[in-house]
Amino acid sequence: MKHFITKKKTLTVLSIILMLVLWKVLAVVFDSPLTIPHPEATFLAVVKLFAEPGFLMVAGSTVVRGLTGFILSGLLGICIGILAGISPGFNTFITPMLVTIRSVPVISLILLALIWFRTGVVPIFIGFLTMFPFICTNVSDGIRSVDPGLVEMAHFYKVDKRRILTGVYIPAVMPFIISGASSAMGIGWRAIIIGEVLSQPVYGIGTRLQLAQTYLNVEAVIAWTLIAIALSFIFEKLIRWGESYLIKWQNGL
Amino acid sequence: MKLQINNLFKSYKDPVFKDFSISFPENAITCILGPSGCGKTTLLNIIGNIIPPDSGTLNGFRDKQLSYVFQDPRLLPWKTVRENIEFVLDKNLNAPERKKQAEQLIKQVELEGFSCYYPAQLSGGMRQRVSIARAFAVPSDIILMDEPLKGLDAVLKQNLIKWFLPIWKADRRTVIFVTHDVDEALLLGDKIVVLSKIPANILTQVTLDIPAGTRNPESEVFKNKKQELLTALENKESG
Repeated sequence: MKHFITKKKTLTVLSIILMLVLWKVLAVVFDSPLTIPHPEATFLAVVKLFAEPGFLMVAGSTVVRGLTGFILSGLLGICIGILAGISPGFNTFITPMLVTIRSVPVISLILLALIWFRTGVVPIFIGFLTMFPFICTNVSDGIRSVDPGLVEMAHFYKVDKRRILTGVYIPAVMPFIISGASSAMGIGWRAIIIGEVLSQPVYGIGTRLQLAQTYLNVEAVIAWTLIAIALSFIFEKLIRWGESYLIKWQNGL
Repeated sequence: MKLQINNLFKSYKDPVFKDFSISFPENAITCILGPSGCGKTTLLNIIGNIIPPDSGTLNGFRDKQLSYVFQDPRLLPWKTVRENIEFVLDKNLNAPERKKQAEQLIKQVELEGFSCYYPAQLSGGMRQRVSIARAFAVPSDIILMDEPLKGLDAVLKQNLIKWFLPIWKADRRTVIFVTHDVDEALLLGDKIVVLSKIPANILTQVTLDIPAGTRNPESEVFKNKKQELLTALENKESG
Protein backbone atom coordinates (compact mmCIF):
# COMPACT_ATOMS: atom_id res chain seq x y z
CA MET A 1 0.00 0.00 0.00
CA LYS A 2 2.76 2.41 1.02
CA HIS A 3 4.71 1.41 -2.05
CA PHE A 4 1.66 2.16 -4.17
CA ILE A 5 1.27 5.64 -2.64
CA THR A 6 4.90 6.58 -3.33
CA LYS A 7 4.54 5.31 -6.88
CA LYS A 8 1.41 7.39 -7.30
CA LYS A 9 3.17 10.48 -5.97
CA THR A 10 6.11 9.94 -8.31
CA LEU A 11 3.78 9.70 -11.28
CA THR A 12 1.98 12.91 -10.27
CA VAL A 13 5.28 14.76 -9.98
CA LEU A 14 6.43 13.35 -13.33
CA SER A 15 3.24 14.52 -14.99
CA ILE A 16 3.70 18.06 -13.62
CA ILE A 17 7.36 18.12 -14.68
CA LEU A 18 6.37 17.01 -18.19
CA MET A 19 3.88 19.88 -18.46
CA LEU A 20 6.53 22.38 -17.33
CA VAL A 21 9.08 20.97 -19.78
CA LEU A 22 6.60 21.22 -22.66
CA TRP A 23 5.83 24.79 -21.66
CA LYS A 24 9.51 25.67 -21.53
CA VAL A 25 10.13 24.03 -24.94
CA LEU A 26 7.25 25.98 -26.50
CA ALA A 27 8.52 29.22 -24.93
CA VAL A 28 12.00 28.62 -26.35
CA VAL A 29 10.65 27.66 -29.79
CA PHE A 30 8.35 30.69 -30.10
CA ASP A 31 10.87 32.93 -28.38
CA SER A 32 8.27 35.66 -27.85
CA PRO A 33 7.12 36.63 -24.35
CA LEU A 34 4.03 38.17 -25.94
CA THR A 35 2.94 34.75 -27.21
CA ILE A 36 4.31 32.26 -24.68
CA PRO A 37 6.22 33.64 -21.70
CA HIS A 38 8.87 31.49 -20.04
CA PRO A 39 7.63 29.49 -17.05
CA GLU A 40 10.17 30.99 -14.64
CA ALA A 41 9.17 34.52 -15.68
CA THR A 42 5.54 33.60 -15.15
CA PHE A 43 6.19 32.19 -11.69
CA LEU A 44 8.05 35.38 -10.87
CA ALA A 45 4.94 37.25 -12.05
CA VAL A 46 2.82 35.10 -9.71
CA VAL A 47 5.08 35.99 -6.81
CA LYS A 48 4.85 39.66 -7.76
CA LEU A 49 1.05 39.38 -7.81
CA PHE A 50 1.10 38.01 -4.27
CA ALA A 51 3.10 41.03 -3.19
CA GLU A 52 0.71 43.49 -4.85
CA PRO A 53 -1.34 45.44 -2.28
CA GLY A 54 -4.68 44.66 -3.92
CA PHE A 55 -4.02 40.92 -4.33
CA LEU A 56 -5.96 39.69 -1.33
CA MET A 57 -8.89 41.87 -2.28
CA VAL A 58 -8.92 40.51 -5.84
CA ALA A 59 -8.51 36.84 -4.99
CA GLY A 60 -10.69 37.22 -1.89
CA SER A 61 -13.56 38.72 -3.92
CA THR A 62 -13.50 35.77 -6.30
CA VAL A 63 -13.39 33.30 -3.40
CA VAL A 64 -16.31 35.04 -1.66
CA ARG A 65 -18.35 34.96 -4.87
CA GLY A 66 -17.48 31.31 -5.38
CA LEU A 67 -18.42 30.37 -1.84
CA THR A 68 -21.63 32.41 -1.92
CA GLY A 69 -22.70 30.65 -5.12
CA PHE A 70 -21.63 27.33 -3.68
CA ILE A 71 -23.47 27.76 -0.40
CA LEU A 72 -26.65 28.98 -2.11
CA SER A 73 -26.63 26.11 -4.59
CA GLY A 74 -25.73 23.72 -1.77
CA LEU A 75 -28.64 24.78 0.44
CA LEU A 76 -31.21 24.83 -2.34
CA GLY A 77 -29.71 21.76 -4.02
CA ILE A 78 -29.94 19.74 -0.82
CA CYS A 79 -33.55 20.79 -0.14
CA ILE A 80 -34.77 20.20 -3.71
CA GLY A 81 -32.63 17.05 -3.95
CA ILE A 82 -34.22 15.59 -0.82
CA LEU A 83 -37.72 16.29 -2.17
CA ALA A 84 -36.82 14.76 -5.55
CA GLY A 85 -35.29 11.76 -3.81
CA ILE A 86 -38.36 11.15 -1.67
CA SER A 87 -41.05 11.83 -4.25
CA PRO A 88 -40.78 10.21 -7.69
CA GLY A 89 -43.47 12.62 -8.95
CA PHE A 90 -41.49 15.68 -7.89
CA ASN A 91 -38.39 14.14 -9.44
CA THR A 92 -40.12 13.74 -12.80
CA PHE A 93 -41.39 17.30 -12.48
CA ILE A 94 -38.00 18.82 -11.66
CA THR A 95 -35.86 16.80 -14.10
CA PRO A 96 -36.67 18.82 -17.27
CA MET A 97 -35.74 22.01 -15.40
CA LEU A 98 -32.41 20.60 -14.26
CA VAL A 99 -31.65 19.29 -17.74
CA THR A 100 -32.47 22.71 -19.22
CA ILE A 101 -30.24 24.55 -16.76
CA ARG A 102 -27.43 22.13 -17.44
CA SER A 103 -27.78 22.39 -21.21
CA VAL A 104 -27.89 26.18 -21.49
CA PRO A 105 -24.44 27.40 -22.56
CA VAL A 106 -22.73 29.24 -19.69
CA ILE A 107 -22.14 32.19 -21.98
CA SER A 108 -25.89 32.58 -22.63
CA LEU A 109 -26.53 32.60 -18.90
CA ILE A 110 -23.87 35.28 -18.45
CA LEU A 111 -25.24 37.47 -21.22
CA LEU A 112 -28.71 37.26 -19.72
CA ALA A 113 -27.38 37.82 -16.21
CA LEU A 114 -25.54 40.92 -17.44
CA ILE A 115 -28.87 42.33 -18.50
CA TRP A 116 -30.66 41.35 -15.29
CA PHE A 117 -28.21 41.96 -12.42
CA ARG A 118 -25.57 44.37 -11.23
CA THR A 119 -22.02 43.34 -12.03
CA GLY A 120 -20.99 41.85 -8.68
CA VAL A 121 -24.00 39.56 -8.61
CA VAL A 122 -23.54 38.14 -12.13
CA PRO A 123 -20.68 35.72 -11.24
CA ILE A 124 -22.54 34.54 -8.13
CA PHE A 125 -25.66 33.89 -10.16
CA ILE A 126 -23.66 32.00 -12.80
CA GLY A 127 -21.85 29.99 -10.14
CA PHE A 128 -25.15 29.16 -8.49
CA LEU A 129 -26.82 28.02 -11.71
CA THR A 130 -23.92 25.85 -12.82
CA MET A 131 -23.44 24.20 -9.43
CA PHE A 132 -27.06 23.73 -8.40
CA PRO A 133 -27.99 20.86 -10.79
CA PHE A 134 -24.98 18.80 -9.73
CA ILE A 135 -25.75 19.00 -6.04
CA CYS A 136 -29.48 18.51 -6.57
CA THR A 137 -29.06 15.40 -8.75
CA ASN A 138 -26.47 13.89 -6.44
CA VAL A 139 -28.60 14.39 -3.33
CA SER A 140 -31.69 12.86 -4.94
CA ASP A 141 -29.61 9.91 -6.20
CA GLY A 142 -28.24 9.58 -2.68
CA ILE A 143 -31.69 9.50 -1.09
CA ARG A 144 -32.84 6.87 -3.57
CA SER A 145 -29.75 4.80 -2.81
CA VAL A 146 -30.64 4.46 0.88
CA ASP A 147 -31.09 0.75 1.55
CA PRO A 148 -34.80 0.20 2.34
CA GLY A 149 -33.74 -2.81 4.41
CA LEU A 150 -31.88 -0.53 6.81
CA VAL A 151 -34.86 1.79 7.11
CA GLU A 152 -37.12 -1.19 7.73
CA MET A 153 -34.72 -2.46 10.38
CA ALA A 154 -34.70 0.91 12.13
CA HIS A 155 -38.50 1.15 12.06
CA PHE A 156 -38.80 -2.42 13.30
CA TYR A 157 -36.63 -1.67 16.33
CA LYS A 158 -38.74 1.46 16.93
CA VAL A 159 -35.80 3.82 16.54
CA ASP A 160 -37.17 7.38 16.69
CA LYS A 161 -37.47 9.52 13.56
CA ARG A 162 -34.66 11.89 14.48
CA ARG A 163 -32.17 9.07 14.90
CA ILE A 164 -33.34 7.41 11.68
CA LEU A 165 -32.58 10.70 9.92
CA THR A 166 -29.18 11.22 11.55
CA GLY A 167 -28.22 7.56 11.73
CA VAL A 168 -29.52 6.16 8.46
CA TYR A 169 -30.38 8.82 5.88
CA ILE A 170 -27.72 11.50 6.38
CA PRO A 171 -24.71 9.14 6.46
CA ALA A 172 -26.05 7.31 3.39
CA VAL A 173 -26.46 10.54 1.44
CA MET A 174 -23.20 12.14 2.61
CA PRO A 175 -20.90 10.52 0.02
CA PHE A 176 -23.27 11.70 -2.71
CA ILE A 177 -23.32 15.26 -1.35
CA ILE A 178 -19.54 15.30 -1.28
CA SER A 179 -19.12 13.97 -4.80
CA GLY A 180 -21.76 16.48 -5.96
CA ALA A 181 -19.94 19.29 -4.17
CA SER A 182 -16.68 18.23 -5.75
CA SER A 183 -17.99 18.24 -9.33
CA ALA A 184 -19.94 21.44 -8.63
CA MET A 185 -16.81 23.21 -7.38
CA GLY A 186 -14.80 22.07 -10.39
CA ILE A 187 -17.32 23.56 -12.80
CA GLY A 188 -18.29 26.47 -10.54
CA TRP A 189 -14.88 28.17 -10.30
CA ARG A 190 -14.52 28.28 -14.05
CA ALA A 191 -18.03 29.65 -14.51
CA ILE A 192 -17.51 32.32 -11.87
CA ILE A 193 -14.29 33.52 -13.46
CA ILE A 194 -15.91 33.68 -16.90
CA GLY A 195 -18.69 35.66 -15.24
CA GLU A 196 -16.13 38.09 -13.81
CA VAL A 197 -14.36 38.49 -17.16
CA LEU A 198 -17.59 39.57 -18.79
CA SER A 199 -19.24 41.50 -15.98
CA GLN A 200 -16.08 43.30 -14.82
CA PRO A 201 -16.68 43.78 -11.11
CA VAL A 202 -14.13 46.11 -9.48
CA TYR A 203 -12.24 43.26 -7.80
CA GLY A 204 -12.01 39.75 -9.15
CA ILE A 205 -9.59 37.35 -10.83
CA GLY A 206 -11.69 37.50 -14.00
CA THR A 207 -11.48 41.29 -14.07
CA ARG A 208 -7.70 41.13 -13.78
CA LEU A 209 -7.50 38.46 -16.47
CA GLN A 210 -9.47 40.65 -18.83
CA LEU A 211 -7.31 43.65 -17.96
CA ALA A 212 -4.09 41.69 -18.59
CA GLN A 213 -5.45 40.46 -21.89
CA THR A 214 -6.28 43.99 -22.98
CA TYR A 215 -2.64 45.04 -22.40
CA LEU A 216 -1.40 41.83 -24.08
CA ASN A 217 0.27 40.96 -20.79
CA VAL A 218 0.37 37.19 -21.42
CA GLU A 219 2.51 36.63 -18.36
CA ALA A 220 -0.18 38.12 -16.13
CA VAL A 221 -2.95 36.18 -17.90
CA ILE A 222 -1.15 32.92 -17.18
CA ALA A 223 -0.16 34.04 -13.68
CA TRP A 224 -3.80 34.75 -12.73
CA THR A 225 -4.78 31.47 -14.35
CA LEU A 226 -2.28 29.63 -12.17
CA ILE A 227 -3.75 31.33 -9.12
CA ALA A 228 -7.25 30.25 -10.23
CA ILE A 229 -6.00 26.67 -10.63
CA ALA A 230 -4.42 26.82 -7.18
CA LEU A 231 -7.71 28.06 -5.65
CA SER A 232 -9.66 25.28 -7.31
CA PHE A 233 -7.06 22.77 -6.12
CA ILE A 234 -7.19 24.04 -2.54
CA PHE A 235 -10.97 23.78 -2.39
CA GLU A 236 -10.93 20.31 -3.95
CA LYS A 237 -8.44 19.29 -1.26
CA LEU A 238 -10.67 20.79 1.44
CA ILE A 239 -13.61 18.77 0.17
CA ARG A 240 -11.54 15.59 0.07
CA TRP A 241 -10.33 16.30 3.58
CA GLY A 242 -13.92 16.77 4.70
CA GLU A 243 -14.80 13.53 2.95
CA SER A 244 -12.16 11.49 4.75
CA TYR A 245 -13.34 12.99 8.02
CA LEU A 246 -17.09 12.59 7.43
CA ILE A 247 -17.07 9.16 5.85
CA LYS A 248 -14.21 7.57 7.67
CA TRP A 249 -16.11 4.27 7.69
CA GLN A 250 -15.16 3.85 4.03
CA ASN A 251 -11.45 4.24 4.68
CA GLY A 252 -10.71 0.75 5.87
CA LEU A 253 -12.37 -0.92 2.90
CA MET B 1 -51.29 -16.16 26.53
CA LYS B 2 -50.49 -18.62 23.80
CA LEU B 3 -48.89 -17.31 20.63
CA GLN B 4 -51.31 -18.10 17.85
CA ILE B 5 -52.15 -17.08 14.33
CA ASN B 6 -55.66 -17.97 13.24
CA ASN B 7 -57.31 -18.01 9.83
CA LEU B 8 -54.62 -15.96 8.17
CA PHE B 9 -55.19 -14.75 4.62
CA LYS B 10 -52.53 -12.98 2.61
CA SER B 11 -52.23 -12.65 -1.16
CA TYR B 12 -49.84 -10.91 -3.45
CA LYS B 13 -50.31 -11.99 -7.04
CA ASP B 14 -51.16 -15.47 -5.77
CA PRO B 15 -52.54 -16.39 -2.39
CA VAL B 16 -49.64 -17.03 0.02
CA PHE B 17 -51.79 -17.87 3.02
CA LYS B 18 -55.33 -19.14 2.73
CA ASP B 19 -57.03 -19.78 6.04
CA PHE B 20 -53.69 -20.62 7.66
CA SER B 21 -53.36 -21.23 11.40
CA ILE B 22 -50.30 -21.95 13.49
CA SER B 23 -49.25 -21.75 17.12
CA PHE B 24 -45.87 -21.24 18.72
CA PRO B 25 -44.75 -22.54 22.13
CA GLU B 26 -43.34 -19.82 24.36
CA ASN B 27 -39.74 -19.88 25.58
CA ALA B 28 -38.86 -22.43 22.93
CA ILE B 29 -37.39 -22.46 19.45
CA THR B 30 -39.89 -23.12 16.68
CA CYS B 31 -38.35 -23.85 13.30
CA ILE B 32 -40.42 -23.24 10.22
CA LEU B 33 -39.14 -25.44 7.45
CA GLY B 34 -40.15 -25.09 3.84
CA PRO B 35 -38.97 -24.52 0.29
CA SER B 36 -37.97 -21.07 -0.99
CA GLY B 37 -40.94 -18.89 -1.78
CA CYS B 38 -43.35 -20.74 0.49
CA GLY B 39 -44.18 -17.60 2.44
CA LYS B 40 -41.83 -18.13 5.38
CA THR B 41 -40.49 -14.57 5.26
CA THR B 42 -43.99 -13.23 4.69
CA LEU B 43 -45.11 -15.03 7.84
CA LEU B 44 -42.30 -13.44 9.87
CA ASN B 45 -43.07 -10.02 8.41
CA ILE B 46 -46.73 -10.39 9.35
CA ILE B 47 -45.77 -11.41 12.89
CA GLY B 48 -43.28 -8.53 13.01
CA ASN B 49 -45.98 -6.09 11.92
CA ILE B 50 -43.89 -5.08 8.89
CA ILE B 51 -46.62 -6.10 6.46
CA PRO B 52 -50.33 -6.31 7.27
CA PRO B 53 -52.31 -9.51 6.73
CA ASP B 54 -55.36 -9.37 4.47
CA SER B 55 -57.32 -10.91 7.32
CA GLY B 56 -56.82 -13.19 10.28
CA THR B 57 -56.02 -12.78 13.94
CA LEU B 58 -52.74 -12.78 15.76
CA ASN B 59 -53.07 -13.69 19.42
CA GLY B 60 -50.45 -12.94 22.02
CA PHE B 61 -48.08 -11.03 19.77
CA ARG B 62 -49.22 -7.44 19.97
CA ASP B 63 -48.15 -6.73 23.54
CA LYS B 64 -44.79 -8.43 23.04
CA GLN B 65 -41.52 -6.79 22.13
CA LEU B 66 -39.88 -8.33 19.10
CA SER B 67 -36.38 -8.62 17.65
CA TYR B 68 -35.61 -9.56 14.08
CA VAL B 69 -32.53 -11.24 12.65
CA PHE B 70 -32.96 -10.51 8.97
CA GLN B 71 -31.63 -12.76 6.25
CA ASP B 72 -29.00 -10.15 5.38
CA PRO B 73 -27.43 -8.68 8.53
CA ARG B 74 -28.73 -5.14 7.82
CA LEU B 75 -25.95 -3.37 9.68
CA LEU B 76 -25.36 0.34 9.19
CA PRO B 77 -22.08 0.44 7.23
CA TRP B 78 -21.09 3.78 8.79
CA LYS B 79 -21.47 2.59 12.35
CA THR B 80 -19.06 0.35 14.21
CA VAL B 81 -20.12 -2.98 15.66
CA ARG B 82 -20.87 -1.38 19.01
CA GLU B 83 -22.67 1.63 17.51
CA ASN B 84 -24.81 -0.70 15.43
CA ILE B 85 -26.01 -2.46 18.57
CA GLU B 86 -26.42 0.80 20.50
CA PHE B 87 -28.50 2.19 17.63
CA VAL B 88 -31.49 -0.04 18.48
CA LEU B 89 -31.24 0.22 22.27
CA ASP B 90 -33.75 2.21 24.25
CA LYS B 91 -33.00 5.88 23.81
CA ASN B 92 -33.86 6.48 27.46
CA LEU B 93 -30.75 4.59 28.54
CA ASN B 94 -27.76 6.83 29.16
CA ALA B 95 -24.65 6.48 27.02
CA PRO B 96 -22.51 4.46 29.47
CA GLU B 97 -25.39 2.07 30.10
CA ARG B 98 -25.93 1.56 26.37
CA LYS B 99 -22.24 0.98 25.87
CA LYS B 100 -22.17 -1.55 28.68
CA GLN B 101 -25.10 -3.50 27.27
CA ALA B 102 -23.66 -3.49 23.77
CA GLU B 103 -20.24 -4.61 24.98
CA GLN B 104 -21.80 -7.43 26.95
CA LEU B 105 -23.56 -8.76 23.88
CA ILE B 106 -20.42 -8.37 21.76
CA LYS B 107 -18.66 -10.53 24.31
CA GLN B 108 -21.44 -13.12 24.19
CA VAL B 109 -21.20 -13.50 20.44
CA GLU B 110 -17.43 -13.77 20.78
CA LEU B 111 -16.59 -10.61 18.92
CA GLU B 112 -14.52 -9.07 21.70
CA GLY B 113 -11.94 -6.74 20.23
CA PHE B 114 -14.11 -6.01 17.21
CA SER B 115 -16.31 -3.33 18.86
CA CYS B 116 -14.72 -0.55 16.86
CA TYR B 117 -14.69 -2.38 13.53
CA TYR B 118 -16.95 -1.31 10.71
CA PRO B 119 -19.16 -4.02 9.12
CA ALA B 120 -17.14 -3.97 5.89
CA GLN B 121 -14.08 -5.03 7.89
CA LEU B 122 -15.84 -8.18 9.13
CA SER B 123 -16.55 -11.51 7.44
CA GLY B 124 -20.10 -12.51 6.52
CA GLY B 125 -20.40 -14.81 9.53
CA MET B 126 -19.17 -12.10 11.90
CA ARG B 127 -21.66 -9.62 10.49
CA GLN B 128 -24.49 -12.08 11.08
CA ARG B 129 -23.26 -12.50 14.66
CA VAL B 130 -23.50 -8.73 15.15
CA SER B 131 -27.05 -8.90 13.82
CA ILE B 132 -27.84 -11.67 16.31
CA ALA B 133 -26.19 -9.69 19.12
CA ARG B 134 -28.37 -6.72 18.19
CA ALA B 135 -31.48 -8.90 18.38
CA PHE B 136 -30.53 -10.14 21.84
CA ALA B 137 -29.46 -6.69 23.06
CA VAL B 138 -33.06 -5.51 22.85
CA PRO B 139 -35.13 -6.80 25.78
CA SER B 140 -37.49 -8.62 23.46
CA ASP B 141 -39.88 -11.45 24.23
CA ILE B 142 -39.79 -12.97 20.78
CA ILE B 143 -36.93 -13.20 18.29
CA LEU B 144 -37.76 -13.67 14.63
CA MET B 145 -34.96 -15.20 12.61
CA ASP B 146 -35.11 -15.36 8.83
CA GLU B 147 -32.58 -17.91 7.57
CA PRO B 148 -29.73 -16.15 9.35
CA LEU B 149 -27.33 -18.94 8.39
CA LYS B 150 -28.13 -18.87 4.68
CA GLY B 151 -25.07 -18.47 2.49
CA LEU B 152 -22.61 -19.48 5.21
CA ASP B 153 -20.51 -22.58 4.71
CA ALA B 154 -21.24 -25.80 6.62
CA VAL B 155 -18.49 -25.43 9.23
CA LEU B 156 -19.42 -21.82 9.96
CA LYS B 157 -23.06 -22.89 10.28
CA GLN B 158 -22.15 -25.58 12.82
CA ASN B 159 -20.13 -23.08 14.83
CA LEU B 160 -22.86 -20.45 14.79
CA ILE B 161 -25.39 -23.01 16.01
CA LYS B 162 -22.99 -24.07 18.75
CA TRP B 163 -22.57 -20.62 20.21
CA PHE B 164 -26.12 -19.52 19.51
CA LEU B 165 -27.60 -22.08 21.90
CA PRO B 166 -25.82 -20.92 25.10
CA ILE B 167 -26.84 -17.33 24.41
CA TRP B 168 -30.38 -18.42 23.82
CA LYS B 169 -30.43 -20.59 26.93
CA ALA B 170 -29.45 -17.61 29.10
CA ASP B 171 -33.02 -16.29 29.05
CA ARG B 172 -34.92 -18.68 26.74
CA ARG B 173 -36.80 -16.18 24.67
CA THR B 174 -39.36 -17.41 22.18
CA VAL B 175 -37.62 -17.90 18.86
CA ILE B 176 -39.33 -18.30 15.51
CA PHE B 177 -36.65 -19.52 13.16
CA VAL B 178 -37.27 -19.84 9.45
CA THR B 179 -35.07 -22.14 7.38
CA HIS B 180 -35.01 -24.46 4.40
CA ASP B 181 -32.26 -26.62 5.92
CA VAL B 182 -33.52 -29.80 7.60
CA ASP B 183 -30.35 -30.33 9.67
CA GLU B 184 -30.40 -26.77 10.93
CA ALA B 185 -34.01 -27.21 12.02
CA LEU B 186 -33.24 -30.51 13.74
CA LEU B 187 -30.28 -29.09 15.64
CA LEU B 188 -32.10 -25.99 16.88
CA GLY B 189 -35.84 -26.54 16.98
CA ASP B 190 -37.92 -27.66 19.93
CA LYS B 191 -40.76 -27.74 17.47
CA ILE B 192 -40.44 -28.05 13.70
CA VAL B 193 -43.27 -27.08 11.37
CA VAL B 194 -43.02 -28.09 7.72
CA LEU B 195 -44.80 -25.81 5.26
CA SER B 196 -45.95 -26.63 1.74
CA LYS B 197 -45.59 -24.47 -1.34
CA ILE B 198 -48.03 -21.56 -1.55
CA PRO B 199 -50.76 -21.34 -0.52
CA ALA B 200 -48.95 -22.56 2.57
CA ASN B 201 -50.25 -25.50 4.54
CA ILE B 202 -48.73 -27.26 7.49
CA LEU B 203 -47.54 -30.61 6.13
CA THR B 204 -46.31 -31.99 9.42
CA GLN B 205 -45.21 -30.87 12.88
CA VAL B 206 -42.48 -32.53 14.88
CA THR B 207 -41.52 -31.91 18.50
CA LEU B 208 -38.13 -32.84 19.85
CA ASP B 209 -37.75 -33.75 23.49
CA ILE B 210 -33.96 -33.90 23.60
CA PRO B 211 -32.72 -30.38 24.45
CA ALA B 212 -31.00 -28.56 21.61
CA GLY B 213 -27.24 -28.66 21.97
CA THR B 214 -27.22 -32.26 23.18
CA ARG B 215 -28.63 -33.81 20.01
CA ASN B 216 -26.52 -36.28 18.16
CA PRO B 217 -27.02 -36.24 14.39
CA GLU B 218 -25.84 -39.87 14.28
CA SER B 219 -28.51 -41.12 16.71
CA GLU B 220 -31.55 -43.15 15.62
CA VAL B 221 -34.04 -40.60 16.96
CA PHE B 222 -32.39 -37.83 14.99
CA LYS B 223 -32.26 -39.92 11.81
CA ASN B 224 -35.90 -40.94 12.15
CA LYS B 225 -37.06 -37.38 12.65
CA LYS B 226 -34.96 -36.28 9.69
CA GLN B 227 -36.55 -38.97 7.53
CA GLU B 228 -40.00 -37.88 8.67
CA LEU B 229 -39.29 -34.26 7.72
CA LEU B 230 -37.70 -35.19 4.39
CA THR B 231 -40.66 -37.39 3.47
CA ALA B 232 -43.04 -34.54 4.24
CA LEU B 233 -40.97 -32.17 2.10
CA GLU B 234 -40.75 -34.66 -0.76
CA ASN B 235 -44.49 -35.32 -0.77
CA LYS B 236 -44.97 -31.62 -1.16
CA GLU B 237 -42.63 -31.68 -4.18
CA SER B 238 -44.69 -34.36 -5.90
CA GLY B 239 -48.01 -32.93 -4.75
